[in-house]
Amino acid sequence: MSATAQSVDSPAAVGARGLSRLRHLDLIGLVITVATLALAVVWAFPLYWGLVTTFKPEYEIVRPGVQLWPEHFTFENYIHVLLRTKIGLWYLNSLITSGAVTVIVVVMAAAAGYAISQLEFHGRRFFWWMILASFMVPIPSVTVNHFILMSQFHWINSLPGVIAPQLIAPVTVIIYKQFFDSVPRDFREAAVIDGASELQLLFRIYLPMNWGITTAVAIITFIGAWNLFLWPFVAVNTEDKMNITVGITQVHDAFGVSYGRDLATAMLAALPVAIVYLIFQRRVTQAIMLSAGIKG
Amino acid sequence: MVKSRRNEIVAAYALMAPFIVVYGVVFVYPSVKMFELGFTDAPLIGAGAWVGFKNFWRLQSDRLFWTAVWNTLYFVLLSVVPSTLAGLAIAIAINRLKGWMQSATLAAFFLPYILPVSVVYRIWSWMFDKDFGVAQYAIVPFTGGEHVSVFRTLPLFMPAVAFVTVWWLIGFNVLLFIAGLRNISSEIYEASALDGAGRWTQFRRITWPLIWPVTALVLTIQLILQLKIFDQVYLFAANVRTDATMVMVQYILKQGFQMNRGGLAAAASMVLFVLIVVLSVLQFQMLRARGQR
Amino acid sequence: MSAPPKNGNGAEPHVELKRVTKRYGAVTAISDLSLAVDKGSFTALLGPSGCGKSTLLRMIAGLEVITAGQCFIDSIDVTDVPPAQRRIAMVFQSYALYPHMTVRQNIAFSLSVAGAPRKTQEDRTREVARILQLEPYLDRRPAELSGGQRQRVAIGRALVRKPEVFLFDEPLSNLDAKLRVQMRLELAKLHADLVTTMIYVTHDQTEAMTLADKIVVLDKGTISQVGSPLELYNRPANKFVAAFIGSPSMNFFGVDVAPADDGVANVVLPGGRTARARLRGKSAIAAPVELGVRPEHLALVDPNDPASAFRGAIRIVERLGNATLLYVDTPAGQLIVQGEGNLEAKPGQGVGLTLSESDVHLFGASGASL
Repeated sequence: MSATAQSVDSPAAVGARGLSRLRHLDLIGLVITVATLALAVVWAFPLYWGLVTTFKPEYEIVRPGVQLWPEHFTFENYIHVLLRTKIGLWYLNSLITSGAVTVIVVVMAAAAGYAISQLEFHGRRFFWWMILASFMVPIPSVTVNHFILMSQFHWINSLPGVIAPQLIAPVTVIIYKQFFDSVPRDFREAAVIDGASELQLLFRIYLPMNWGITTAVAIITFIGAWNLFLWPFVAVNTEDKMNITVGITQVHDAFGVSYGRDLATAMLAALPVAIVYLIFQRRVTQAIMLSAGIKG
Repeated sequence: MVKSRRNEIVAAYALMAPFIVVYGVVFVYPSVKMFELGFTDAPLIGAGAWVGFKNFWRLQSDRLFWTAVWNTLYFVLLSVVPSTLAGLAIAIAINRLKGWMQSATLAAFFLPYILPVSVVYRIWSWMFDKDFGVAQYAIVPFTGGEHVSVFRTLPLFMPAVAFVTVWWLIGFNVLLFIAGLRNISSEIYEASALDGAGRWTQFRRITWPLIWPVTALVLTIQLILQLKIFDQVYLFAANVRTDATMVMVQYILKQGFQMNRGGLAAAASMVLFVLIVVLSVLQFQMLRARGQR
Repeated sequence: MSAPPKNGNGAEPHVELKRVTKRYGAVTAISDLSLAVDKGSFTALLGPSGCGKSTLLRMIAGLEVITAGQCFIDSIDVTDVPPAQRRIAMVFQSYALYPHMTVRQNIAFSLSVAGAPRKTQEDRTREVARILQLEPYLDRRPAELSGGQRQRVAIGRALVRKPEVFLFDEPLSNLDAKLRVQMRLELAKLHADLVTTMIYVTHDQTEAMTLADKIVVLDKGTISQVGSPLELYNRPANKFVAAFIGSPSMNFFGVDVAPADDGVANVVLPGGRTARARLRGKSAIAAPVELGVRPEHLALVDPNDPASAFRGAIRIVERLGNATLLYVDTPAGQLIVQGEGNLEAKPGQGVGLTLSESDVHLFGASGASL
């Protein structure tokens, strides 16, 4: 073994210094990673806490101390809510109104987006500007006027009345128009030579070329309609016509405050959209990115 | 393309018709009516007489109106910038992770966003519950052992609602920021690391300027969104018999539905509309100028 | 409506453009152009990019509106008729295969749109698939196919419609060289089998030369020359066609022409030697004159041969196996000479070049052949 003294600047020394610096950096990185994970846990905690509370019997809920898992796991809160409240009806109302809004908006917006993108007709530019301008008007401002309009149709406290004002969807039209604009001209020309009419072009070529966009738009419209509070709250005044988002806030248990049941109704209200999200995560993300791109 | 103009026009109008009809009836007509109604003294249902700017004078002399305006602006102040900055920080943190860790953390921050407001309300009114809420454990050290009914304590109300709102909606901001961060090539960071830049320098000199367009976008979207705030404020204040926490949309609804003053409500709606337009244009200009600097 | 002009053998042209003009706003792409395509022929529209060949094709297809002039298919004025009713089919450069449909559905699309019965759709699709050897791929999506297969599906989609005219818009340009040769052969076979009128746009003169009965050479929106491949090759009407057709391309250099004498001109070459050139037309000689000679019409002789047209030195030797290309520096500039595959040649070697009077072309000031 050689007895050569290693000078401070020898490669080995530099390497050793680099390694310690690396470890030093890694330490901070590790801390940040742990902190991120911890924050995520804390962030998700209220969801967990709300959920786990619904599986506890009431006496356990009001006990002092923090019990992270029920001592006595029970479904009694859910059973009560499902049997003794109108939650089934609210689910139905939400399903019908959200479904109707989704179908109507998607079909309408795809058709209008297609016409503006591909066809030439008088007023095309005018409609386009009108759609762009509608961003400026905040929907809550028009709530009172919506109410007046719906009462003129005698649609207050009815499902059509809940559905109608939700059909305003300029963003969806814009998303479709931009998508149709991006389709290469070749496909249209080939299909026209093949003899396709405009409707055939829309439903057999343009839309099927990218079902992903339609799915994304449909999902985000559905979730938005399901979660809507303001309009269904204003437009409906009897329990049997409420959607689920409104319903769970309006009902107070005749038996006094029951945390377990209140939270159970909330969890039931959240369940469908949570499931839709977990299944269609990618589409939801895609839809949000699309609509944010429009607003930018 | 050689086409039958007639066929094209027929197809165009057939395709546009549903949208035009719905849009006209449900959006254009009520919006126009709103502007018109604001100058009349009409009740909720029915016609009224033209009164010019009288409604606006009534508004500006109504203390409740100013309370609503102030509360709305206060809320915006408490929620827009914090949620934007927090969104950026969380996005940066998540972007560093890979694989299951990234998916899991992203889901944790994003899941609240898809929940309905009433579910968020229930979860957090339970968290903050005066008697049994788990948040009291964090509050008690500051009050010497006393539990606080957070939403009944006036000075705490808006900050608490803003806090819940940030928790609820942060996912949206995080998503946009992550997309923006992914557009920044990692080579820039590697090059700067070779130049000896530390984390903070990298953030200040690379991340912040390059993500600025997204930051500006998020700020704008949040601003417009929070000016229209209603749901959470209404729900958390539902059991509190006070008008002190009223926000603008609430004021509009109260005037329209409770006080049966359609004209006044419309006037207040117009004020909100102008407020939103002015503030967003101002903000847009300000941010654009900063971005070009 | 005046009777359409008849071509040489008395039959009326199948497709005809009469004095068509195409304007895009202030820009005129094509002006007062007339063109006739015979039934059953394979006509190539050849030219560099921007010459208007695709525009012409698209006008015949109905994808571009004709600003002025008329288009006839089978003696019917189709100028204002939409594409779907013109009994044409088109193969696009990018193939434009519907990505979400299988090969089977792509091919059958036009039949399905027209509401043809299922059996008809299936039978015709199967027949087309057989002709184009697409049977194993019928249930695949375009994304799963190779370039050549996609090309055949595009042709199949056109084929199934049994059109009167096939239009091809640079269909081979997205394929690699080997595949291009293979597909060229298949297209030639297809035409031989179907004997349907085919109009084929390309910028590749090899494709035009090998496939077409008649080539229309286009230059900046006007027709430079129309003729069979050999006509264009041996008797180019102007310098543009002479330079465009033939690979490697013709050599050009300026010459002085002495007064003509009974169909043959005396030419003074750069470097001082003289040569004789046959005049093709009767037009007056307008200076400056250029002489064009193809690489294979330059012969190598001993550098000291006094009868040679040029003395020069070889700069570069390119060996292709079946031929050798020599780049020779001469008083007329660098000339390309084509010789045998195993020609003995070295860079730096001195050589002499000769040309024969019947294999040279003279071009006057306007570019037209003399």
